[in-house]
Amino acid sequence: MHFSAPYPIYFGVAPLSLFLDPLAAIFVLLLLTVTMASAIFAPSYLRHLTGKINQSYFWINMILFIVGMLMVLLSANAVTFLVFWEIMSLSSAALVASDFSSHKAHKATIIYLGATRIATSLLAIGFLWYYSIFSSWNFVDWKLNSESLPAAILVALGLCIKAGIWPFHIWLPYAHPQAPAPVSALMSGVMIKVAIYAAIRLFVLPGSGSEELAYLFIALGMISALWGIVFALIQTDLKRLLAYSSVENIGLILASVGICLWAQKTGMKEIALISFVAALFHSINHGIFKSLLFLSTGAIDSAMHSREMKNLGGLSKKMPWTSFAFLVGAASACALPPLSGFASKWLIYQGFFTIPCQWHGKAMIGISLVSIGLLAFLGGLALACFTKAFAISFLGRPRSAAINHAKEASPSMLIAQLSLTLITVLMGLLSPQIISFFSLVYQSILVPEEAAISGFAKFVGPSLPLLPLAIVLTLLTCIIYYSVLFRKRKQLKLSMTWECGYGGLEPTMQATAGSFSHSIATIFAPILHYSTRFQISGKDRRHFPEQIQVETEISSLLESSIYSPIINSVRLLSGHFSKLQAGSIHLYLLYVFITLIALLTLGAKS
Amino acid sequence: MNFTEILCFIVLFLVLPILISGFIRNLKARLQNRIGSPLLQPLYNLYKLLQKSETISQDASPLFRIVPALNFSIMLILAVLVPWLPFHFSLPGSEIFLVLYLFAAMRFFSIIAALDTGSPFSAFGASREATLSALTEPAIILSLVALGIAYRTSDLNEIFSFSQSHGLMQVSIWLLSGAGLFLASLVELSRMPIDDPTTHLELTMVHEAMVIENSGPNLALIELAYNLRLVVYYGLSAQCFMHALAVLFTIDHATYVLLSILAIFILAFLTAAIESFAVKLAWRNNPEFIAYALTMSLLASLAAIFQSAFASLSLGNLGAFL
Repeated sequence: MHFSAPYPIYFGVAPLSLFLDPLAAIFVLLLLTVTMASAIFAPSYLRHLTGKINQSYFWINMILFIVGMLMVLLSANAVTFLVFWEIMSLSSAALVASDFSSHKAHKATIIYLGATRIATSLLAIGFLWYYSIFSSWNFVDWKLNSESLPAAILVALGLCIKAGIWPFHIWLPYAHPQAPAPVSALMSGVMIKVAIYAAIRLFVLPGSGSEELAYLFIALGMISALWGIVFALIQTDLKRLLAYSSVENIGLILASVGICLWAQKTGMKEIALISFVAALFHSINHGIFKSLLFLSTGAIDSAMHSREMKNLGGLSKKMPWTSFAFLVGAASACALPPLSGFASKWLIYQGFFTIPCQWHGKAMIGISLVSIGLLAFLGGLALACFTKAFAISFLGRPRSAAINHAKEASPSMLIAQLSLTLITVLMGLLSPQIISFFSLVYQSILVPEEAAISGFAKFVGPSLPLLPLAIVLTLLTCIIYYSVLFRKRKQLKLSMTWECGYGGLEPTMQATAGSFSHSIATIFAPILHYSTRFQISGKDRRHFPEQIQVETEISSLLESSIYSPIINSVRLLSGHFSKLQAGSIHLYLLYVFITLIALLTLGAKS
Repeated sequence: MNFTEILCFIVLFLVLPILISGFIRNLKARLQNRIGSPLLQPLYNLYKLLQKSETISQDASPLFRIVPALNFSIMLILAVLVPWLPFHFSLPGSEIFLVLYLFAAMRFFSIIAALDTGSPFSAFGASREATLSALTEPAIILSLVALGIAYRTSDLNEIFSFSQSHGLMQVSIWLLSGAGLFLASLVELSRMPIDDPTTHLELTMVHEAMVIENSGPNLALIELAYNLRLVVYYGLSAQCFMHALAVLFTIDHATYVLLSILAIFILAFLTAAIESFAVKLAWRNNPEFIAYALTMSLLASLAAIFQSAFASLSLGNLGAFL
């Protein structure tokens, strides 16, 4: 479907032009699903922020944000894309700044705005470059060849900033904790996918592929995945944890896009298909389960007024449905079968695995082997991260008194969470059908060889029997539970958790978010700048300590040794530059004059 | 699969988990000059536990009792999917990544159940389990992926069938993968030298610390799932070694089955020997031990890649490749 606005509606150089193909339709569907859930969730969520957030300000920006994303997905030319991209970026920045009064929100907004400015300028330069090569603003006319490669790399970097790819992911963990939960859900679930969508549209759909771009994407993707999950693991704020986990997932998606580009270039049709479907499916899955997790965290936030895991614990008794939704989301994020997260992770694995099986390209075999090992490692870390996130917040004993007054989230909040939960489960169970549908999308756009498609369909159908697996698993569990455990329920004795006969366990005598991740954090100490200090005081401090203090310190290597120096030097430079703006009209006239002379000489040369 | 094979599978499936863990215990006692418990002691223990009533923590959520049942059923499914015995059901889900993520699912739920009671001990265990499993996962996956590359499929049934071409390279892939899997399974099963299942101090343990709050039938299910997991892991690495053997010699099926069972017992013997003669590693040295498993699996994958290079290239353009 294609729509071009009539003549007067022009963005300067190109008309407002929209079109809808199956690829855009899939992302629009994701956007609408998450929007629906967030819209159901938002009204009762905002109630606990009364006084902090201006409702009309929130809704206006929310609508702008959603319309912006929708139009970016639908835009057919670069100018339309850029205009709505800006609307999307600025309205989301306004939403991050919803809570004007907080100092943290100021900082987050500045960092986020800075990131979006750089992203937009890179995109603008890249688009102009593209235009100068192909003399058209339409995405359809843009090819990926050696001539347009520099422009493509510029655009790719701009998209990476928006997607939150290492080393540009810095804005995510600042912006997400400040934004209200429905906004975080949309930003993490959909907005960063919009960047992936653009990458697919611009680089994959031309069909020629590019090795340079592929290596860039795979390298950045895998580094972000590792970096993201390591940082997610050590966070104690639930939202920051989820933000870093988004960095991981978006990294995996980008790496898959990279594999697809490489396979297109080298003519490995089947691998291109697998990794395209993997990237697409994982984008959708991550969009759903991450929004779900953000909404559940929002529900905790509105009940507890805190997302710090040190204040939570034992919430599953107070909020059983929210905890169920969070558990399913966490399990999906850990890619546990039969949930949707597994189906797409499986495809990502298959994309890497098929490379050495089909024997092509020396360097790529090494890369794919290392990536498989790394993916397994990431899977283990994600498991540690999400078991921690779930168990520390929802299980165990309450860590603060406020939990005793916590109530289950309101019905509308639950509907939003449970509908996303249902979608996550269904997408996992129906994954063979969804995967073959996505491969049809690829076929309809790119028309690869028939043999690859049929081979692919044969290969997915039998190897992913998630629905029978789920049925058998549920039946078995029920049978075992009822035959072994349920019939003994009358003899069940309740007692306190074993405390070595010490007499009474206090809420602090259980694992914290920090202590759970300590043993992994020590492995990554160099990049985390992780250090712990113990202080034990008291007269006989060895046997009867009166006070024990543990302090852990974490700072990011990237922020402390790369970004801070850059920001400091920019600040220093701008201090000098500000002297130019002296406020004297004479001086400004002089500038105008000098510029004029300079332009004239430049013009004379050509 | 014919009727006798199904019968054999069911018998071995019922008998081996109990027998192997009883065997390891008894052998360890013998190596330490004790008489030791009878071979069927694990069975008696299970019976006893099933008769007992349960005591659970008042802080526990319903998950605490669902998880053992869930994990046990996942393990039952895995025992059918993984080709740990020389019989194949040729079920569709027998696939490297699906199987490994089902193992991961068990770990996910057991960590959650361990943190459920808010016991500091089980939290220690859970944290260690999470760390160890993250470190071992690459070794296990790469061992299996090496085999997958050698046979160009991720379907375990196809990899572990005998319809494949024979070659000397295959022997090294099978041996290295088997060794990698065995070393990794020592970590996965929390055996020595990573974890000592027999100390009295919960602070230093992994598996035993995680289940410290479980009792009665609840604990019985966990123990049973653990025993089953042990034979499945050992059986899988035993099958790797057996395949290496099958490449070198032609063995008829009945002998092969007997040898496979013997191989599992040999691995159990090795475990008992390691647990009697080695000392537990300090926690921070564990990554070094896991590195051995990872090295084995990496070597196996390299061998697999070279094998496919030999297969796809004639001698003439081999020089060009190198």
